[in-house]
Amino acid sequence: MPLRVKVRNAESGATVDMELEGENTIEDIIEGAAGYWEKDAGAYVLRRGKRLLRGQQTVAEAGVLNSDDLELIPDPEGGG
Amino acid sequence: MSEAIKLGEIDEDRLDRSRRIGWLDVGKIVKSRCLVVGAGALGNEVVKSLVLSGFKEIVVVDMDRIVRSNLNRCVFFREEDAESRLQKASVVAARAAELSPTARVTPVVSSIQDIDLSSSPRPDVVFGCLDNIAARLHLNAHSYHLGIPYIDGGTNGFAGRVHVVLPPEGPCLQCGMNRSHFRIMEKRHSCTGIEASFYEPKVPAEITTTSVIAAIQVREALKVLSGKSEDCIRHVAHYDGLRNRFEILETSIDPGCPMHSRMEPHDSQR
Repeated sequence: MPLRVKVRNAESGATVDMELEGENTIEDIIEGAAGYWEKDAGAYVLRRGKRLLRGQQTVAEAGVLNSDDLELIPDPEGGG
Repeated sequence: MSEAIKLGEIDEDRLDRSRRIGWLDVGKIVKSRCLVVGAGALGNEVVKSLVLSGFKEIVVVDMDRIVRSNLNRCVFFREEDAESRLQKASVVAARAAELSPTARVTPVVSSIQDIDLSSSPRPDVVFGCLDNIAARLHLNAHSYHLGIPYIDGGTNGFAGRVHVVLPPEGPCLQCGMNRSHFRIMEKRHSCTGIEASFYEPKVPAEITTTSVIAAIQVREALKVLSGKSEDCIRHVAHYDGLRNRFEILETSIDPGCPMHSRMEPHDSQR
């Protein structure tokens, strides 16, 4: 049965609802959300509470639950 | 006859105020070796804080030259350095030695991929002050394998991140990465563009965020070297200066990460 989660854009505060299957990966969510908001090419991570979710994990493995709030955060990579 | 104290003597010791911080192991700090990879914005600030904190043995690695657009965020660089296109590592080393004449700051003009971290002298802490993911992963892998604490910083405009890797415990930098990182891995955000093989938008960079992130990097090193690793960031701190947010987020070991799936302890860890 599909899950429905809310993904928040940490930069703009905007949210989008996503319907997920258990076998979807965290990377799928990251790419789906980044694409939806037409974000620049860059590194992003997804958090659930105080935990950063591992990209390769499936939604089921990461323990994502129906109605969860997730947040898409840019992962700063500059410094030069 | 007992030894007389000299009035004002404590103010002659440049590290006196540091010594007053009970947990800070100044004796260990002055004897520790640091490797700072990247002498750009973060590298400038990290080296500044290291020499002021009392570190005496610092190696700074960078392959780039100074350009004028570096001058909005690099405390050690001057107009004339940019005009002469001097090497970043050499200028940082020279100016840091002016701040603390007893510090030995050694510049290495090279790509980090060309440096053998296992050769002596072995650093006690490695700082990632880089502008690209490929170099970060290289440094993360070698530091983890050698069992050396690795403190990585990253910035983008008013956002920043500090990742603390303390081998052999816990996840490494690579464990927290995903496809979005690997997709841009080979894109080098070079300030000069010399290393860029194709067009890549420049990452916005400004001094206040750079200062915050670099200061946290050095502070975490002070904790590690003072035996307070348990109080270090676990595992990554995300800073959003625009919204005044600072949060510590946990990552987990990726069983597929090469650092953890086939790691054998280095001699120094046995």
